[in-house]
Amino acid sequence: MFSAILLSGGRGKRMKKDMPKQYLLLAGKPIIMHSLERLDKLSEINEIIVVCEEEFKSSIQLMLKQYNIETNVIFAHAGTTRQESVYNGLKYVNNDKVIIHEAARPFATLNDFKRLIESESPNATLGYSIPYTVVKGSNIITDLLDRDELINVQLPQKFDTNVIRKVHENARVEKKLFTEDAGMVFHYTGLQVQVVNGSSFNIKITEAVDLLIGEIIYNEYIACRK
Amino acid sequence: MKTCIITGVSSGIGREVAIMLSKNKQFQNIAMLGRNKEAIEETVKLMDHDNINIKIWEVDLIYPEQVISVINEIYDKFKTIDCVLNIAGYTDPQPLLSTTLDNLIHTYNVNVFSPLMIIRESVRYMKKNGGKILNVASTAGMTSRPGWISYASSKAALISISQTLSDELAEYGIRVYCVSPGRCATKLRKRLAPDEDPATIMQPEEVADVICKLISDDECCLDGQNIVIRKQIRK
Repeated sequence: MFSAILLSGGRGKRMKKDMPKQYLLLAGKPIIMHSLERLDKLSEINEIIVVCEEEFKSSIQLMLKQYNIETNVIFAHAGTTRQESVYNGLKYVNNDKVIIHEAARPFATLNDFKRLIESESPNATLGYSIPYTVVKGSNIITDLLDRDELINVQLPQKFDTNVIRKVHENARVEKKLFTEDAGMVFHYTGLQVQVVNGSSFNIKITEAVDLLIGEIIYNEYIACRK
Repeated sequence: MKTCIITGVSSGIGREVAIMLSKNKQFQNIAMLGRNKEAIEETVKLMDHDNINIKIWEVDLIYPEQVISVINEIYDKFKTIDCVLNIAGYTDPQPLLSTTLDNLIHTYNVNVFSPLMIIRESVRYMKKNGGKILNVASTAGMTSRPGWISYASSKAALISISQTLSDELAEYGIRVYCVSPGRCATKLRKRLAPDEDPATIMQPEEVADVICKLISDDECCLDGQNIVIRKQIRK
């Protein structure tokens, strides 16, 4: 069986709204519930660890009841960084396999989760090609990058619990910050991290425009209302 | 085992739907909701009981809060909810200046709030496996009806609810239908048009036939619309 960590600690500063983005409505439903409902449908998952700010715990608990979420849900405190939030969530994992997902990605489908779960490697991430040209640099270009050698890392990801716990301990000792966990596992262990084909629909809701795009993606890709 | 919940089964369209569903065996469990137990028992007598569980829940839809526990009882008994048919309706036609708040509340409780509570509670269970919801509105909810303000506006609300929920519940594989019968020979019609000869208008079994076709496994592409059911009467 798998545990699932659902990261929901973001403050949504870029959205410029009073409420963090994961609690805003998308297609009439709080964004976090899109992922929670899908995780609840997966028989391979028997516990969901929601990592969130304490102030939102009671409203999420109410939603769990309203949406009849049957899987056992445990709460963990959001950290000051994404990495710390994952670390906090990992403390509550009771299985030797864990899926990490983020509430702000409501378009990861049941099929995406299933393909990830069934993928051969114990450590895997959804990933997708990069459709635009990227170069290295800040104010000036310092180097060229070959986009054929690059991957747009998406979530969900899955890991061997012992492996991901160990690399997080390593990163804490070194005070090194990573923006996601698949690269972190590769960096510290050199283990093979499989890339499972993702989708250009699997966007992260970050800015206000993503909510507008998200409504279209929902209708076409999730609800299939045509 | 599939379960269908029906309201308004004591007479008219609801009674005819219950009889037809008992015969076509689409559902193995039929939950009959209503307040007039004797009349519902009359309906049950007319139903085909072979290989079907038929159970009555006495509930008065003027109290929407009552339906919440009833839906949970139905799920506890049958372990599945696959179809909800909101057929019950109420009217006490009054012109605006005679309409009381009680009249409005009573009408909206039966025609809007109770159906919505039945849907909400059922969807909590239906959303894992999908299903069908059908609301019986009225052509009165589509056009101006002086003197019928509470009834007509409540049916307009039910049409809107159906259209919104059709989109909101699509992800769960739940299809929401709405039918608006025109003049149909029911007790409710008699209150709206007491002088009309019922034999000259559409009969409840004709509306029931359309409803049963819509909720059959073969139907597709008609959800999310307000489907008007009218009959051409030849004189």
